Amino acid sequence: MTVSFRPLHPLFFAEVTRDGKPLDLRQVHDQETLTELRDGMDKYGVLVFPQQPFTNAEQLAFAQRWDGALHAKLGSNVVDKKTRLGSPALGDTSNLGMDGKIRSREDRHRLYSLANRLWHTDASFRVPAGRYSLLSARIIPKVRADTEFADMYAAYDALDAATKQQIDKLQAHHSIAYSRQTLGFTFSEPELDNLRGAVQPLVRTNPRTGRKSLYIASHANSIIDWPLPEARLLLLDLMTHATQPQFCYSHDWRDGDMVVWDNLATMHRGRPYDDINHKRELVRVTTLDADHVPGSEAKVLDDLALV
Amino acid sequence: MTLCFRKLTPLFGAEVTRDGKPLDLRQVHDRATLDAINVAMDEYTVLVFRQQPFTDAEQSEFGERLDGGLLGKTVYGGTLSSKQMGSPNVRDISNVDEKGEILRADDKKRIYQLSNRLWHTDASFREPVGHYSLLSARVVPPVRADTEFADMRAAWDELPAQVQQQIAGLKAVHSIAYSRQLLGFEFTPDELENMRGAEQPLIRTNSHTGRKSLYIASHINSILDMPIPEGRLLVADLMAHATQSRFTYCHEWLQDDLVIWDNPSTMHRGRPYEDGKYKREMRRLTTVEMRAA
Repeated sequence: MTVSFRPLHPLFFAEVTRDGKPLDLRQVHDQETLTELRDGMDKYGVLVFPQQPFTNAEQLAFAQRWDGALHAKLGSNVVDKKTRLGSPALGDTSNLGMDGKIRSREDRHRLYSLANRLWHTDASFRVPAGRYSLLSARIIPKVRADTEFADMYAAYDALDAATKQQIDKLQAHHSIAYSRQTLGFTFSEPELDNLRGAVQPLVRTNPRTGRKSLYIASHANSIIDWPLPEARLLLLDLMTHATQPQFCYSHDWRDGDMVVWDNLATMHRGRPYDDINHKRELVRVTTLDADHVPGSEAKVLDDLALV
Repeated sequence: MTLCFRKLTPLFGAEVTRDGKPLDLRQVHDRATLDAINVAMDEYTVLVFRQQPFTDAEQSEFGERLDGGLLGKTVYGGTLSSKQMGSPNVRDISNVDEKGEILRADDKKRIYQLSNRLWHTDASFREPVGHYSLLSARVVPPVRADTEFADMRAAWDELPAQVQQQIAGLKAVHSIAYSRQLLGFEFTPDELENMRGAEQPLIRTNSHTGRKSLYIASHINSILDMPIPEGRLLVADLMAHATQSRFTYCHEWLQDDLVIWDNPSTMHRGRPYEDGKYKREMRRLTTVEMRAA
């Protein structure tokens, strides 16, 4: 009854089954299997579990069973006080409004969500940062609407020695407001006050495997103690390096897919599709980095307490 | 006495010699040779001429002989007093001040020039746009301080047909203020008023060869008739496509190199080097596009 991992890319990303059949995660409660899955996450960075007919409650329960505390202060909650899904821990990755209809082209929430098409990692603008994101496919359109992933272990490994040395001790300021501002999105003062961001290391080490990963995102706005232009140019060079095709895998969603990724070891982005004519609904739950050591960053911005 | 072109990449770029030796462009006045260089620019888009010890005046005169109109005073948005050396058309692209000292890390001119490390094409934010740029290496540092070029004809050719169709009629707003703001540079309202930019098609066609090229730059702020986020995401996707390594050539400078590139069919960027430690002096001249786009 062991879980098997079938790699879908030479570097990372595997499909998980048991005895050749989908493994029903709703039924997985034993620590042994959960540990096996965690080892799989440490090895592959992203896992896809086919045929997982989760309800929102089941998805929340499974995420907590597997990885502990949930990230409950999503950036989108600042824009929309009322969420369609009802819980602050449920991320609404759909193109639907409160009425269940497709959002219009100029809808503010839609424009805000478009920023998910920038390469990023979830909740890097929070301390502790997001660790696992569990994205459950509820309505998949007939047209391709992929999520693309990039392997930040491989991206780090492929950096030249001088760059590794240069960035090893650097810390970046991540802000979700910044990634939105780069797309022309503007915020009110109270909104900005709620989105002050967090300081994160540029390089992370997985405490169980010792593997290092490059920890960047379009949320990264500056590098601590660096002039802004040089910082942005370095971040841009790292981003270009890290998202080369050989580090990337694009997931073509099937009904019932659950994809789980390690935010500390990967980046991802949504790919464009005709979102004005096709419904697409996925529900996301993100856990917190349980290995985070409080005060481990040299500077942590005055951040809001978690909800 | 014919010119010889040695290709630098399978797609674009060539080094030019005559009879196996560098030709002295200061001495080239005959229309036949100048026309041959123009034809080669249409074919290769980037040409490298070794051993060209230009003064500013000579560089300016050659640029005018080759391509006619010169781009006048370069836009600094009135934020900098540009060093005028010999010719008002020749722009100083170096990391030294009037006294020949290396610019401090926080010098405004230095920070402004850092934006040249973003992929761009010269003077796309003006009308008429920049045509050729002629960059002359006067002082080359002992470390690599390359300029990298990307072939926008190949980038266009290799776009999926569906994307080619999608962007065919689109126009972009190019603004030099925008590319500087990306790096955190701030402008006063008066400066911004002087840097409003220009609307340009996303695709250009060379009127001599009929070849199409993708016309993008980090100066693009928005796509006309598209919500800003969608426009910027489209440009980011096009930029990532167009700058893949198979479309690029990285030029390692030698003393007295002159490199000429065709702005409507290429992009370029400066690569980082230890500019606080080594002097690097370059002079750039840009011609304006007189021909129909």
